Amino acid sequence: MSVPSQSDSLLISRIRRGEAGAWNELIGRFEGRLLAYIESRVQDRATAEDVVQETFIGFLTSLPNYDRRRPLEGYLFSIAAHKLTDFLRRRQRRPTIPLDSQNSGQGGWQGDGKARPASSIVRSGERRGLERAAIAAALAQQIDHWRRRGQWAKLKCAELLFVRGRPNKEVARRLKISEQTVANHKHEFLVKVRAAVRRQGLPEEVFPELYQGEQR
Amino acid sequence: MTAPPSQSDLEAYLDEALPPDEMARLEKALRKDHELLRRLSAINTRRSAGAHSLGEIWRGGRMSCPSREQLGSFLLGALPDEAADYVGFHLEVIGCRYCLANIADLKNQQAERCEDVQTRRRRYFQTSAGYLRSNK
Repeated sequence: MSVPSQSDSLLISRIRRGEAGAWNELIGRFEGRLLAYIESRVQDRATAEDVVQETFIGFLTSLPNYDRRRPLEGYLFSIAAHKLTDFLRRRQRRPTIPLDSQNSGQGGWQGDGKARPASSIVRSGERRGLERAAIAAALAQQIDHWRRRGQWAKLKCAELLFVRGRPNKEVARRLKISEQTVANHKHEFLVKVRAAVRRQGLPEEVFPELYQGEQR
Repeated sequence: MTAPPSQSDLEAYLDEALPPDEMARLEKALRKDHELLRRLSAINTRRSAGAHSLGEIWRGGRMSCPSREQLGSFLLGALPDEAADYVGFHLEVIGCRYCLANIADLKNQQAERCEDVQTRRRRYFQTSAGYLRSNK
């Protein structure tokens, strides 16, 4: 799991004090990866450099709101993603995606199956952040467990299922394991994440995919 | 595209996190596929209502991304076999945009002229330093 490094925290403190040298250091440390991220989409070096420039300006203007518990690289990539999205919309390569008109009324989003609409629970941004953090901690623990035990197949399986949303059959074919093994890995993983949700006292209805097809 | 994009892929599209070729394919499909647009709208609605998905949390937290040092070791062929195999999977099969950008940057560092890099960095500094202020 990506965690803030001590050197990043020190760098941020110096930038917050207005130190030009620290700002120069941050640019030197991160501009190459941001440029590569953006250039892979716009296929034009000069345009990509302009978007990186907007990213750095966006970083400085948002710095008062930056939560230093958040990894710096991830934060910069998220600003770059927003700037890139804005750029592609201006070029009409990316459509603006509205809220779903059928579900954005008073009833709000209707979850699949038995899930209660998440909008029926009023939750602050801070509360949502805590929910995300609790699940992220459970995922980190599980991934670390697989890595320490050399259970790479389980890690690959979960990543294909949940990060890329691939069906069991495709995961089995890619990893050269049986569909039953994929189903077992999936079940074992979901049981652990659900246990984390229960332990932390989190509302089940805001994690609909954990309970899809479950009888509760 | 052979199969319709998964829900996770659509979420990654909204976050500008799919591999570039898949982003471009989806953008092309979106011009005429209203069902895809509806599915993306439903994701936005679900997000604004406060529901989470494991894929979003995993991707956003970069839960399984190798560190930059590990990516460097991977390029040098200095990782143990199983760890190297996993990094290859994460890059090629999962197509992690952030790790692919780090790998491209690490490769460029050896190829790019130092002078070009310095010119670029100076420009970033000069155009942004005006926003630098003390905000402890």
